Amino acid sequence: MATSMVPKRPFLSLPFLLPSWTDSLALGSRRNQSSYRRTKQRLRVKPDASFGPSRQGHDQIIFNPPSSAPSVYHTPSKFLPPGDARKTLRAENVARPDADNLPGVYKSTEKKYHLSTAQIEEIRQLRLSDPMTWSRHKLAKRFECSQMFIAMVCEASPEKKEIQKQVTQAIQSRWGPKRRMAREDRQLRRETWGRDA
Amino acid sequence: MKRLQLHRWSSSVLSPRARTGSRVQQHLHSGVRHQSTASPLQSEASSQEEPFLEEAPVDEGLARHIRSIRFKRPEIQYPSPPVEAARSSAKLAALHARLYLPSRLPLETLARTLVDASADPNPHFNNESLVTLGHDLLTYYTSEHLLCTYPRLPLAVIFSSMYAYAGPKSLAAMAKEWGVEAATLPGGRLTQFRRIDPGAEVPGSAEKREPRQQMGRKIFYDNEYGDAPSGPVDRNAGVSAEQASSDFVRAVMGAIYLHAGRPAAKRFFEQHFLSRQLNISSLFSFSQPARDLNRLCARENFEQPVAKIISETGRRSRSPVFVIGIFSGQDKLGEGAGSSLFEGRERAAVAALKGWYLYSPLSVRVPSSMEEEGAAPWKPVHVDLGEVIV
Repeated sequence: MATSMVPKRPFLSLPFLLPSWTDSLALGSRRNQSSYRRTKQRLRVKPDASFGPSRQGHDQIIFNPPSSAPSVYHTPSKFLPPGDARKTLRAENVARPDADNLPGVYKSTEKKYHLSTAQIEEIRQLRLSDPMTWSRHKLAKRFECSQMFIAMVCEASPEKKEIQKQVTQAIQSRWGPKRRMAREDRQLRRETWGRDA
Repeated sequence: MKRLQLHRWSSSVLSPRARTGSRVQQHLHSGVRHQSTASPLQSEASSQEEPFLEEAPVDEGLARHIRSIRFKRPEIQYPSPPVEAARSSAKLAALHARLYLPSRLPLETLARTLVDASADPNPHFNNESLVTLGHDLLTYYTSEHLLCTYPRLPLAVIFSSMYAYAGPKSLAAMAKEWGVEAATLPGGRLTQFRRIDPGAEVPGSAEKREPRQQMGRKIFYDNEYGDAPSGPVDRNAGVSAEQASSDFVRAVMGAIYLHAGRPAAKRFFEQHFLSRQLNISSLFSFSQPARDLNRLCARENFEQPVAKIISETGRRSRSPVFVIGIFSGQDKLGEGAGSSLFEGRERAAVAALKGWYLYSPLSVRVPSSMEEEGAAPWKPVHVDLGEVIV
């Protein structure tokens, strides 16, 4: 009976069951990392080169890039006009981030340019005839293009716009003061992005 | 108990007999008040009452004495001080020295720059002509500096930087910094003008900034600050203190040009106007920066801009930070940090657009530098296609 009870607990957590030579092993594995000395040891990193003594006999360049974003007055090389001297000066030895290996913010989609004039006419026709069914989302799904493209090609009828406006108003009328203020704040915050504030 | 200082009390509390202080003090006191409260023009037009009498009803003999002095003083027989008075004014000489004005500019002209057309309607004695000249010089020098230093600036930003460098508010602030105060009595050392009635509408202040669609029209129809031009100002109704002091600064510019010539005027402009720091990058405001950048790259035949994550921290936390870069091919156009991917991208696009618009050539020369002696042959300045129109 007693032997069948033992395996329910991890064997190593009951060191008194083990033979005496395994004591040090069991204790070693139980030790946690939060001791003062260990933490101190971990934090003892080599100081940055710029804080250390200068190397005797050699010239050295210390470059500590700032943690801030580059100044907007520093025109990117691509934006310099052809005659500008900075374009050739900067071309070499500039540490660029490797753009190809960086992850994109959005999924990059290849543009297909697959819709013909007749299909675009059809999109317009559908949206005019039954705007409630053929929303931008559904049209984009059907013609395998983006909603942006649908908006570029055609416009909703004024009646549909009016209905949509009323729907939005009805939703917004149910908002309490907290939600309303939060939405307004969000809008204000978005405006500060464009002003870089 | 602390002693009461009776002479600080107003006359409504104390009877004239109870006032402390000697007769001489009273005399001086009333003289000072009289100088700074009423101009002869105002007292003639508005009321017959003597300001110093209501202030300090002292005995009749003293009042008669002060009145006689006032009518004998030559300064107040005319709406502006006589020309000879400028030589004896210490404040004018101090202003001349403080501004480091050229010695060829006489004190008499400096005194004239202080007389607004609302104080003295005679064009031979007021600063109206100098104001016109100085205003044209100021706006010319400012606009050529802006256009040559930042050839790609959008029109709206040019207008607001013109306003910041040479607009009426900046000029009025400069007059204040120079220590020029407003007077209502002609004295030869203070800005003289007739104040606009309290509550009256200040001309040129109520106009609204027009929507962006009409920005192109502004070049043809509006003034140098992009505002609708106000009609002819009725000087008899008075002007605001801001307008009077800004006109004074313009008049000084015109006077320097007339007496000391173009180089001195330009030096004065560089020392007093261009030396004021203006952060042009803070004047921008974009509503859809990513779209604008897209159009710009299409126009200039660059690769399509793509937003990429340079670094990030705390994606699953309450306050993450994403550093987003916008790349066109291998080149980084702009970089921005935000608490969401979208914000980071928008800020990066703003930075890229500012990088485009704030391009400045290496050696900037303005057209007026050709007026200097022995100037190098002129090389055409960089002219850009203009701002991005979506």
